[in-house]
Amino acid sequence: MKSRNNQHYARLVSRMVLAVSLLPAIGVAADDVQTKPAPAPLGGGIAQEKTVPIIVVGKWAGKRLADGQPDISGHWSNTIANHNNFTDPQGRIPGEPDKPGVKRKELGPRDQRAPSRVSDPLDGQLPLQDWALAKVKEFQVGFHNPVKQEYVEPLARCAPAGIPKSLFWHGYEIAQYRDYVVFFFGSGTRIIHLDSKPHLPDNIKLWNGDSRGHWEGNTLVVDVANQNGKALLGRSGEFISENAHIDERYIFSPDGQRYNYVAVFTDKDVYTRPFTVTIPARKWTTKDKPNGWHFEVEKANGPHGDIEHYERICTENNGGFGLGAASPGK
Amino acid sequence: MNSHLNRHWSPLLLVAAMLVSLAQPALASETIPRLANGKPDFSGIWQTTSAADYDLEPHSNRKDTPPGAGIVEGGVIPYLPEALEKKKKNFEHRESLDPARKGWTLGVPRAVYYPEPFQIFQRQADLNLVPQFGHSVRTIHTNGTDHPKDPNDWWLGDSRGYWEGDTLVVDVADFNDKTWLDSAGNFHSDALHIVEHWKFLDNNTIAYKATIEDKNVFSRPWNIDVILYRHREKNFQLIEDYRFTLDYDQYYPPKPDNK
Repeated sequence: MKSRNNQHYARLVSRMVLAVSLLPAIGVAADDVQTKPAPAPLGGGIAQEKTVPIIVVGKWAGKRLADGQPDISGHWSNTIANHNNFTDPQGRIPGEPDKPGVKRKELGPRDQRAPSRVSDPLDGQLPLQDWALAKVKEFQVGFHNPVKQEYVEPLARCAPAGIPKSLFWHGYEIAQYRDYVVFFFGSGTRIIHLDSKPHLPDNIKLWNGDSRGHWEGNTLVVDVANQNGKALLGRSGEFISENAHIDERYIFSPDGQRYNYVAVFTDKDVYTRPFTVTIPARKWTTKDKPNGWHFEVEKANGPHGDIEHYERICTENNGGFGLGAASPGK
Repeated sequence: MNSHLNRHWSPLLLVAAMLVSLAQPALASETIPRLANGKPDFSGIWQTTSAADYDLEPHSNRKDTPPGAGIVEGGVIPYLPEALEKKKKNFEHRESLDPARKGWTLGVPRAVYYPEPFQIFQRQADLNLVPQFGHSVRTIHTNGTDHPKDPNDWWLGDSRGYWEGDTLVVDVADFNDKTWLDSAGNFHSDALHIVEHWKFLDNNTIAYKATIEDKNVFSRPWNIDVILYRHREKNFQLIEDYRFTLDYDQYYPPKPDNK
């Protein structure tokens, strides 16, 4: 199974590279990522870039922690867009009704926006089974007028954003410890165990699943089981089942300033075949100006110019997402 | 006579005392886990075995509570008269009012002695405390920084730690008034201020002490004292417990209509 997955993965990466190089707006050579800083932000909002850089799987020559892990600790965020739309990340929330008196800016041709987060299949669409596609379409209508409980996005009720949405909601911190990589999201915490202990028993289902990881050169490889399938992939309503299995690769650039998340989702209950999700991310440091989407830090009250992130707690609906400090508003 | 005996016996006593001390294990301070900078390393998964969260004060058994001798020094929390009335009401309606029963954030210090494990992730600059219940991360900064100059009122307050020898001392301030101290209705206002002391008793045991003050609720500062044990079961791990999401658990994910 593992070798099949690996072959599948290798094929997907080569396809992804091909797909990326075919897109007109993306003329990124393999070493661009290694030598150039991130492209200038597109207006400084959520969307900073339109393209996915190529980061090659390989050895890690950068800084290491005392336990040997590549040192990638710090503040990170995705570079493309938030969770409004999974397969057209810089498009609109599907089915968004016009607001009276508000003229919306035309989106223009699809290829002028960032590619789908689905890098395989090549058409960028999720290989949903018919019934599941019908549910997604139903949600895309219901989301804008939530007359049923199912149409309320769980994240709006303070539930964790889950996998992979946590990676393209707000910025987050990755911290590393002996035997652990920990993601501190604004919408929950994800603990990745590096010590090869077995997964939790199958009937335990979790918003963030149960993660087992190890390092292969510049790549953090994570096997995720025990999903509860309740966190949507985006406001566009796509979902996975509680039997989904995720094979994640976090591929870090040589300078440690970027990574690409490339994950194969296998879920026979909802999809017709495995698919691959690709999400580019960049690091934020004290050299960057804090901002409300990607880098929500404060200057610490001390002499050394430290930055810090205030507590991540969800309070009443939309008062800040994350953890259940207060009841959902709806 | 007595002095004669003492003179006679004292060398033997000294030898006996030396033998006893040789048989003792090394002092805890010599063997406890430490970070690269030499400070005690509290990394691990911890939990109390006490009944503290059921009621910080001494109490007999109740339908929803095992008996416990309490962890309050002197046994009684020194409430101001009006605050005591509120505490009594909280107790009476604890089933509907206790934030933990709704799955909400436990707060400080309750997350330390709540009867579920919590994990400490420690680096030189900070400790991140992740309780299994709610996963609400509390950061204790140990990088020499102080409370923010323009603070919010936080659920977990703002924690700044420093070392006194091998004891981690943490000053916690800037709270809101929305968490409880236990499930018996003991509470605080947004004037809550806590000073914690964390110290290894041995490699697998932490002595946790806290001084709690709140001029709006208590007539004087008071102390609690509880012991935390390291989870050493094979493959033990936190299992995320976002309890509040159970209220809407049934609506997700979508399922085929005929199932």
